[in-house]
Amino acid sequence: MAVTQTLLQIVVLGGKTSIAVLLLAAGGAKLADRPGFASNVRLFIPMAFRLPHRGPAVLAVAIAAGELAAGAASLSVPQARWLNLAVAAIYAAFVVVWAVGFTRHRGRPCRCFGALSDRGFTGSGLIRAVLLAAVAGLATTVVPAASIRLSLADHLGLLAGGALIAAIAFSAATAAGKAAVAGRAGGHPRPRWA
Amino acid sequence: MHVSLYLAVAQWALLGALGVFLLVLFRQLGHIMQGSGSSAELGPRVGSLAAPLQYRRPAEEQVRRLAPGDGQPTLVAFVDPTCPSCEELVTVLGALRTAGELAGLRVLLLISDPASYLRISEAFSATELEVGRPSDPSGLDDYRVSGTPLLVAIDQGGVVRAAGSAMRAAEVRHYCESCQAGNSATPVLAAEPAVAARGDS
Repeated sequence: MAVTQTLLQIVVLGGKTSIAVLLLAAGGAKLADRPGFASNVRLFIPMAFRLPHRGPAVLAVAIAAGELAAGAASLSVPQARWLNLAVAAIYAAFVVVWAVGFTRHRGRPCRCFGALSDRGFTGSGLIRAVLLAAVAGLATTVVPAASIRLSLADHLGLLAGGALIAAIAFSAATAAGKAAVAGRAGGHPRPRWA
Repeated sequence: MHVSLYLAVAQWALLGALGVFLLVLFRQLGHIMQGSGSSAELGPRVGSLAAPLQYRRPAEEQVRRLAPGDGQPTLVAFVDPTCPSCEELVTVLGALRTAGELAGLRVLLLISDPASYLRISEAFSATELEVGRPSDPSGLDDYRVSGTPLLVAIDQGGVVRAAGSAMRAAEVRHYCESCQAGNSATPVLAAEPAVAARGDS
């Protein structure tokens, strides 16, 4: 289905750019807290498929790099429709991760934005993930080619903007990690004893 | 000059995200510049009597009791298998134990994660140190565990000699020595060891 009304196009394109920017920020922040994110990755690897010693760390970097690549490509190459589907699939995977996290690891920090957030797997987080997946689904809506026609300079400009967002998220997450270490033991959030 | 609708929307999205993350960045930098506002809430006060604790070992129903002041110096480590810094600490403690440097010292690793989480960490699943999970969280109030890892060095008289965070062998060794060297009959003056250790404020 193609939308032709300008307002609807703005909604679709706004959703598309927002989720692409979110991927860039999440990827950049995760890269700044690789050990923390790797420890979360381990939670989702079944014991039967236990990876070698460095496996979770490598997988964590691969996930963060994948988010960065998908976000950058989706932002700077809007003509590629398959990218919209790929991004929607990624957000659908997030919903699955949140559902598993909420079921099995409730309250444990998700580290979706590295050290920037120590929010745990909660019901509200799961709802957020579903909403984001819905926005990603909306972004697969076809818009007229004229609305997404870009010059080479536009592509490069968007790529640079995306890189800037990832870099700032990386810096902010690094700062957050250091602030946490200074403020509360080794930086791991307050334990839940109950 | 014609600007495509996508470019206009994307520019606003990028600007918005840029603004948000710049604010976050400055906020975090501000926290670092100010130092730790919550450091005073970390760990029990040095010189105070350590509170007794009840805990269960994994796969055990029996409630055990840690009674500081029973004549045995004790190093309590609040750690979690999902905390990367804690894994480093447990590895260091294991190496010190192997080297015989923990002789005469009771070392207790207290976790808040469920015991099933021990399996996800190589360091925790391989450790031969005593691991327990507090069975009565209210007993932890005096320990002020605002984050992990947190080490609490308790001497044979039950007095807290040092409390804070440590991951390197030299720092951990200092906590062990604090447990052993303490004498509750004398006032505690400067028991803060190592980097990042925090005592009475």
